[in-house]
Amino acid sequence: MRIVIAGSGEVGTHLAKLLSYEEQDIIVIDDNAERLDMLDSSYNLMTVKGSPTSFFAQKDARAGHADLFIAVTPHESTNLVACSIAKSLGAKMTVARVSHYGFMDPANKDAMKRMGVDRLIYPEYLAAKEIITSLKHSWVRNWFELHEGQIILVGVRIRENAPLAGMQLKEFASTTGNFHVSAIRRNHETIIPRGDDRMLAGDVLYITATRDHVDDLITLCGKVKRRIKKVLIMGGSKIAIRMTDMAGDRFHCTIIDNSREVCAALPEKCPDADIIHGDARDPEVLLEAGIDECDAFIALSPSSESNILTTLSAKEHGVKKSIAEVEDIQFIQQAEELGIGTVINKKLLATSSIFQLLLDADASTSKCLALTDAEVAELEVRPGAKITRAAVKDLHLDRNMTLAALIRDNKGMLVTGGTRFEPGDKVLVFCLTGALHKVERLFT
Amino acid sequence: MRKKINFRMLLRIIGGLTMLEAMFMIVPVITALIYGESDWEILAATAAITACAGFGLWKVRPRSTFMGKREGFLLTASVWIVFSLFGMIPFMFCATPVGLSSAFFEAMSAFTTTGATTLAFPVSSMSHGMVIWQALMQWLGGMGIILFTLAIIPALNTAGGMQMFNAEVTGITHDKLRPRISQTAMALWGLYIALTFIMMVLLWMGPMDLFDSICHAFGTLSTGGFSSRAGSIGEFQSDYVLVVTGIFMLLGGMNFAMIYKVVLGRWRQVKADEIVRIYLGAILVFSLMFIVARIIKGDISSWRELSLLPVFQVISTITSTGYIAPGFTMWEPFVLALTFMMMFSGGCAGSTSGGAKIDRLLYLKRYLSNALKQCIHPNAILSVKVNGAIVNQGLVNKVVAFLCLFILLIVGGGTAMSFLGLPPVDSFFSSFSCICNTGIGASLTGYGEDFTIVPDAAKWILSFLMLTGRLEVFTILLLFTRPFWK
Repeated sequence: MRIVIAGSGEVGTHLAKLLSYEEQDIIVIDDNAERLDMLDSSYNLMTVKGSPTSFFAQKDARAGHADLFIAVTPHESTNLVACSIAKSLGAKMTVARVSHYGFMDPANKDAMKRMGVDRLIYPEYLAAKEIITSLKHSWVRNWFELHEGQIILVGVRIRENAPLAGMQLKEFASTTGNFHVSAIRRNHETIIPRGDDRMLAGDVLYITATRDHVDDLITLCGKVKRRIKKVLIMGGSKIAIRMTDMAGDRFHCTIIDNSREVCAALPEKCPDADIIHGDARDPEVLLEAGIDECDAFIALSPSSESNILTTLSAKEHGVKKSIAEVEDIQFIQQAEELGIGTVINKKLLATSSIFQLLLDADASTSKCLALTDAEVAELEVRPGAKITRAAVKDLHLDRNMTLAALIRDNKGMLVTGGTRFEPGDKVLVFCLTGALHKVERLFT
Repeated sequence: MRKKINFRMLLRIIGGLTMLEAMFMIVPVITALIYGESDWEILAATAAITACAGFGLWKVRPRSTFMGKREGFLLTASVWIVFSLFGMIPFMFCATPVGLSSAFFEAMSAFTTTGATTLAFPVSSMSHGMVIWQALMQWLGGMGIILFTLAIIPALNTAGGMQMFNAEVTGITHDKLRPRISQTAMALWGLYIALTFIMMVLLWMGPMDLFDSICHAFGTLSTGGFSSRAGSIGEFQSDYVLVVTGIFMLLGGMNFAMIYKVVLGRWRQVKADEIVRIYLGAILVFSLMFIVARIIKGDISSWRELSLLPVFQVISTITSTGYIAPGFTMWEPFVLALTFMMMFSGGCAGSTSGGAKIDRLLYLKRYLSNALKQCIHPNAILSVKVNGAIVNQGLVNKVVAFLCLFILLIVGGGTAMSFLGLPPVDSFFSSFSCICNTGIGASLTGYGEDFTIVPDAAKWILSFLMLTGRLEVFTILLLFTRPFWK
């Protein structure tokens, strides 16, 4: 697939990197020569120097022949114009990154189409959605559900108190057949486990279950289900605004921000939230904001370091759920190791939605979740696909992937060695970064 | 935290490439069999040994498939050496055997498209199998061994492959023609094969037989200058051959990315390209100077000597091919001085030619004129511009560093050669000719038609220079620096 990416900022760079691992033809347009040089010399892709909104640069990059044009510069209007130009040159599908909810409104879809923008990515919205999900299911790090919750994949960190800790996978499987341990992250590395691997305290386990059994996992992992009501948010960012808007009256939010101007504008945007002006890094301010009574603390300031550290001090006050926005990908692992409940990263969220587009141009049915070094995707089995030819144990699958569960006739079930897929099945696949295209080949 | 160099992965890839070399060795085996020559045995044995060695290395199981910058450089350098080591075996045991040093020199000279030879006997006394093997080595080395494998082995289609591409392809910056490195490699090699084929057919239509036309097509497009005849290209006594060879040498000295653009019909980009204009302009100017020099000397006997031969010689020299126009050795000193200049400059970056490359000289010229201007206008903001775009200062510095190293290597190589007892002029000239991958000069400097009298130790020095010149200095010299290994 020929993919043109306009903008070599953080999101653009991350996308370019991942997509080139997935063996796609990538061309990056940007006017920053230095960043392009870095990309050009270290990744298997081509770069074109020029403004993303210039016809010349887009023609140089042959945007007109692109199957997918992705505009992810930090400026919304640049992205929209770039998409518009690419579409007029003949790009098959265009995607723009936006930062206002108005664009996402289904009522405006036709207007966007006329402008030549087929799809939108709105990372702040995705982040807010992710936060709400993790507040609802406070005992997990990741919660990924398919088909109205028929199949659920959770990411949980287990400690010594978990009954699962120290158990071998095959022992676990023989006691109960209701779960599929899809992956284990240990020491900064994600592995697809086999029967004789052990689950150790400190691991993050990615476990797939059907809806009826997912609650059994809470005790197995040594967790307690807690209801979150009061939420304290550090930083009145766009994510915070979106999140309070989506929370409705389910949660009660308090926002702390250290800029008076930001605070002054917030009451209009988040009418239900309490606004406090102050520096959340100051323990006094936290206490005054009522950290002791809060159930959850969410750090959404622009600095990843402040977010991580402040979240840690909030945990000392006994919050049940901690969430931090960490934009530097290399810090995500550290943050998780330090015990931060859920990490939010806009880049990974944007990547998830692009991968979703790649897997399925309609993007209506498939879902995808990008983790730091792995992807989870829902794929539909096409008639005649390689995967239908034999039972799972005879398929000799690559070691970088595992098939966790499937949905057949609207019912979710786990995959076992004897499972044989049929066309029309929707399969939950867990694969390490760079293997998604191999997985895809199995399904078509 | 710095990773250790992933030697296991390197060995495995080298194994794969060696098996590929063995595959190419089948060509001379078949040739020898067709002509009923006894050399087919040694050629087949070499192919078998090479294949086994390659297979053995291929069996090394790497712990990770990581390929970084250092692995890329190291792999590129070692592949060229390994290829020469296996490529030299037939020379040592064929019907016309030579010693180890000569054999290695011969193989390296072929792979780096230098075309210098130490063989004391004319090429016609060798078997056809050996002749085609020499031509094939030049042809492979011309566009590049690594580039070839990048085109056909998908496993190298990664960031590590990128490093190898940068380490091998000539030039300062590297145009990617297509988004993925394997596609770029395929485009370049496809073009190279197509041009070779066209030239072969054209020569075959002329006075040459199939065998000679294949050998000459290989020797010309790779700008190696190999000839299957003892009297080189002049033996055919045909202006048609000179014209065809001249045109394809000209193409061989062009940036292949530009030729690719012409094929795609993007004429305008090519016409506007400064380097292409300078390259063609330089050929024109040098030809005129040659002609004027010849007229002043006044020993012109025919129209042909005034037009065709000087132009042919200029193209052959500037593209580092090294074919000699008939009667060239009798031309006057001024012409020889011009020859030195052309050998130094070489063709365009991204071509198969040798030398320092026109691009670098252009950068240097603009850089120097800025430096002079700055003396008068200290506050002026001056930048090196090529094709209308400002060149990053870091790149200019790299070019200047390259040229300094290039000259130091010539001086160093020459000094080492004279220490071995060769006359100073010959020492310096042969080291110059080898690092520029031209391979002419033996007959100019007066020690005979070839490098026969060069002592064994000097052959290794020259081999080193040829490789350094072909991989454009940095790739090889890097390996001798401490930070590379730490």
